[in-house]
Amino acid sequence: MADMNAHGDGHAHGHSHDGACCHNHAKNTRKSRPSDTDKKTFRPAVSGQKAALGLSAFVLTALLIMAVFAPWISPYDPVEQSLENRLAPASAEHILGTDHLGRDILSRLIWGSRISLGSVGLIAVLIMAVGFTVGSLSGYIGGKTDAVIMRVCEAFMTFPTFILALFLIGMFGTGMTNVVLAIVITHWAWYARIIRSMVLNLRNSDYILAARVAGGSHISIFLRHIALPVLSQLTILATLDLGHMMLHVSGLSFLGLGIQPPTPEWGCMINDARQQIWSNPELAIIPGVMIFLTVLAFNIPGDALRDMLDPSLSDAGKDGCC
Amino acid sequence: MLKFIVKRLLSMIPLLLIVSVVVFLILHLGPNDPAMSYLRLSNIPPTDEALANARAELGLNRPLVVQYFEWLSHALRLDFGISFTTKAPVTKHLLHYLPNTLYLAGVSMLITIVFSLPLGIMAAKYKGRWPDHFSRVLAYIGVSTPSFWLAFIMIIVFGVKLGWLPTMGMGGLRHVIMPAVSVALMSTCINMRLIRGNMLEQMHSRHILYARLRGVKESYITRSHVLKNSLIPVVTALGMHVGEVLGGAVVAEVIFAWPGVGRYAVAAINNRDFPVMQCFILMMTVIFVLCNLFTDILYAALDPRIRLEEASSNG
Amino acid sequence: MKQLLCVLLSAMFLGVCGPAAAVDYSPHDTVVYSHMTNVGPLNPHMYSPSQMFAQEMVYDPLVKLQEDGGIGPGLAERWSISEDGLTYVFFLRKDVTFTDGQAFNADAVVKNFRTIMNNESRHNWMGIIDKIDRFEAVSPFEFKLVLKSPYYPCLEDLSLPRPFRMLSPASFPEDGDTSKGIKAPVGTGPWKLVKTELGEYDLFERNENYWGGKPNPANVLVKVIPDPVSRAIAFESKEIDFIYGEGQINFDAFDRLRKTPGVEAKISGPMGTMAVALNSAVGPTKELAVRQALQYVTDKGSIVRGITLNTHPQADTYFSPIVPYCDLKLEPYPFDLNRAADILDKAGWKIPQGKKFREKDGQPLAIDFCFVGNNAAHKSIAEVMQAQAAAAGIKLNLLGEEADSFYSRQKGGDFGMILSPTWGPPFEPHAMVSSMLLPSHADYMAQIGLPMKAEIDAKIHEVMSAVDKKERERLYREILTTLHEQAVYLPIFYSVFFEVYRPDHLKNVGFGAGGTDIPFEKITIE
Repeated sequence: MADMNAHGDGHAHGHSHDGACCHNHAKNTRKSRPSDTDKKTFRPAVSGQKAALGLSAFVLTALLIMAVFAPWISPYDPVEQSLENRLAPASAEHILGTDHLGRDILSRLIWGSRISLGSVGLIAVLIMAVGFTVGSLSGYIGGKTDAVIMRVCEAFMTFPTFILALFLIGMFGTGMTNVVLAIVITHWAWYARIIRSMVLNLRNSDYILAARVAGGSHISIFLRHIALPVLSQLTILATLDLGHMMLHVSGLSFLGLGIQPPTPEWGCMINDARQQIWSNPELAIIPGVMIFLTVLAFNIPGDALRDMLDPSLSDAGKDGCC
Repeated sequence: MLKFIVKRLLSMIPLLLIVSVVVFLILHLGPNDPAMSYLRLSNIPPTDEALANARAELGLNRPLVVQYFEWLSHALRLDFGISFTTKAPVTKHLLHYLPNTLYLAGVSMLITIVFSLPLGIMAAKYKGRWPDHFSRVLAYIGVSTPSFWLAFIMIIVFGVKLGWLPTMGMGGLRHVIMPAVSVALMSTCINMRLIRGNMLEQMHSRHILYARLRGVKESYITRSHVLKNSLIPVVTALGMHVGEVLGGAVVAEVIFAWPGVGRYAVAAINNRDFPVMQCFILMMTVIFVLCNLFTDILYAALDPRIRLEEASSNG
Repeated sequence: MKQLLCVLLSAMFLGVCGPAAAVDYSPHDTVVYSHMTNVGPLNPHMYSPSQMFAQEMVYDPLVKLQEDGGIGPGLAERWSISEDGLTYVFFLRKDVTFTDGQAFNADAVVKNFRTIMNNESRHNWMGIIDKIDRFEAVSPFEFKLVLKSPYYPCLEDLSLPRPFRMLSPASFPEDGDTSKGIKAPVGTGPWKLVKTELGEYDLFERNENYWGGKPNPANVLVKVIPDPVSRAIAFESKEIDFIYGEGQINFDAFDRLRKTPGVEAKISGPMGTMAVALNSAVGPTKELAVRQALQYVTDKGSIVRGITLNTHPQADTYFSPIVPYCDLKLEPYPFDLNRAADILDKAGWKIPQGKKFREKDGQPLAIDFCFVGNNAAHKSIAEVMQAQAAAAGIKLNLLGEEADSFYSRQKGGDFGMILSPTWGPPFEPHAMVSSMLLPSHADYMAQIGLPMKAEIDAKIHEVMSAVDKKERERLYREILTTLHEQAVYLPIFYSVFFEVYRPDHLKNVGFGAGGTDIPFEKITIE
């Protein structure tokens, strides 16, 4: 969990050649580098972890249901106003009260989950697509193409991510589409590099050599022996990052750079609620709780996955040098 | 060592060149018309004639390559042009605000170190017991909390309800507490778990085992072997947190009306003040790169394996 | 190693910088105000980033706007106007010096007028610029201004916060052209700018020899607070003493503060109009019927209650009746959904079976409504109007955009409706009405589809040069009545200034005469 959030800016570090999440380390000379060690930071007590996983599964399912069935389960239209009924306290009609335009908060939260989850999902898919294409091209073709692509990747990794995202939105203009694009542009390079190193390792492995000797075409070898295993790892990698992306999206929305009114979005709701910080602080607190729970629910299984996937963890307690 | 430093410095140059191309291209290939922004921020009615004049004044009608090299040569002399909004040299203003941001970022890093060290050590020492569980829960909470939301809750509680801390602006030490805490929470939590992990790993490593077998005192082992070796990677991690902290500082500056570059840059984004935005991102990137360089050097100084390897390899 | 680490880290982080030095002022004798930005270089002859309220503090005009909207003496104690309305002679005060010790006289006035007129294109938004023929110093304390043709708001234009304000001759640059910058902000006004700390504050000190009487507070400290929420919190925690103006704090914060014991929260009279301009040239708003229907569907009362929390008066006409020439008793458009539906039905906009919005010939009744997206108040107004229009089957597409795209839509007339607040005194009505002639303004673009636009423009030209007051009254009546009947503007409420302070700390706090000056000099501090 902790480690994954370091992900964004973490790998800007000049020579962490292999991604944190790739467990096929080609060289193992620098095992004490954070990129290698930080995945070992989490070895929770089994019962605690199970409880946490249960909780996160519950939260994620609930969110998913909210997002998918929003039109049916939300008690009101999220944009329907009633100025006479503004800032109403919690009541039987409005379980969480109403906002400064008299809109039902619960309905806005429910509809907001669509935007929040949807944008994060879209970002993950886009980053995977770009990262996979660029990374595997670079790794499989090699040579000059590889060198050029890697230089560009490095350039993108040189920027502090949140600040680059701010800059991009400043240039492209505000709006949810541009927020999504900005986060994809700031993150693809990390993925491309990790995928490149995966592909590189696989390409040089014995069974690829064997397949090639047996006369397999480039495309079929690539698809069967490289794309499939890489894609499955890639999906896991992206899942680990969902919480981190969610924080990025809500942070940018909070600064007023994301979705435009009257569409409900959690970060944006907190921004709107600044106006009522004294009289109705709960207006800012409730959407914040939603963001917090969602990110937490993304982070917990991310950690468990990491534990599961990293074989070095099983005996790490005994021997750090593995 | 010197060779190592020179090499790292040289490797930065092509990287920063690509960075500058990216920054330049994003402005000029994006859907923007800097001339329009220039006119609006100067309160000049945007007639076609005025637009043409502004384009000529800003040099927008020359070939892109010429524009890039002109811009780059100015940028190398720290000249990013005149802000559309304030009509003052961009670099002068940003450099004026920069110390305030570095102050906030510095205090945040200090908080990160001061809190993550003891918490991480305790968690490792009492692994599986309550300090460890506490630190784990804290870590979960810390990395899942949006910093702007934390800032809000602090303002509501400590500023509005209790009235203990000032809610805006820069002044004495009391002013910096809330912004710095909101920025530092996440990196503190990450670092705490990192230290814990490293400590555990070191405790179980062979040389510690041998030291124990030799009968060295446990407290001495902890202090001189375990701690030392677990802190080396933390140095690198701190370099990486600089990026996180700079990003967090932008948000905190907006919320707490902190007179730093971040707040200035967000205003520039809303105004579409392009020269300010370009200078801002390059300045932040250079700071970030320099911090990483610094930790690299520190790291190499602490761990000879790195510089030997770097010197022998050709990449 | 640990020591090394500690030393390096502390050197890195704390050596870089410490908190900036504290401001040097006495709290018992200083009014602490706040503004969005620093006050800027305070060039009296230029615009942004110099802030108008601060230009007012440092520089004086020849003639000043009075509280009743009329014009009174400033640096000129009296003036005479020739019969033909072409020659103005100003008799200057003899007891005035600039704060750097330079003498104020007709030569200084000529020097200022010369640099302003050399930069003519920059100021041509004001009518007087085109009319000035020549000017000269008749005697050391007599300044003569000659116009090419009569222009009735000449004195009004001269009283505006910029550019006709007097800078010390010693502060002019060597070439005398102030458009590129000035040496120092030195005027004759009640305040001197003594210190600017970027992003933090500006400090003003009183002009002990101010010709209008020594200001009461010794200093005015203007802190930089960019957003309204932080400002309200700063007042709450006593980091500032004084809130004054429009948009300084939001409606909710004001409402809360006025219910707080020990806090005085006042509301000024009308200071402009929050209005929406409807485009008469493109889209459904081309039709008078649609424009009228939009007037009827807007429930201004509920906006005033729900959004402004009863702080702002509802607006029924484009200019408030207290604006000179504007008390015309025009028939207001009341909130009346049935009437709106009636008009639309008659015009052929009908709601098809099973649909929510009206259509005509297969075209939906959808209008783009543009506003600046990061303005919280504008956003709320737009959202409410969207919901109200939907009730009558009119679809408003909200386009809350950045200032940039907003501006270019305004220029190109690329909008259906656009939120377009008027400028308030001292610009109303004459400067505002003049600007309806300029193609780069939303007003021009909104009106361009009116069949009688040429006639309106001719009348605007005529009114500006009308010497006779009765004639002007008639022309203004005709212009404003036409615009009202054509329903080009949808006024929502009159904007007001908020003023918040603690009466146990500040006394004698009032509102300025115009929309741009803040009467700091009259405030007394307990």
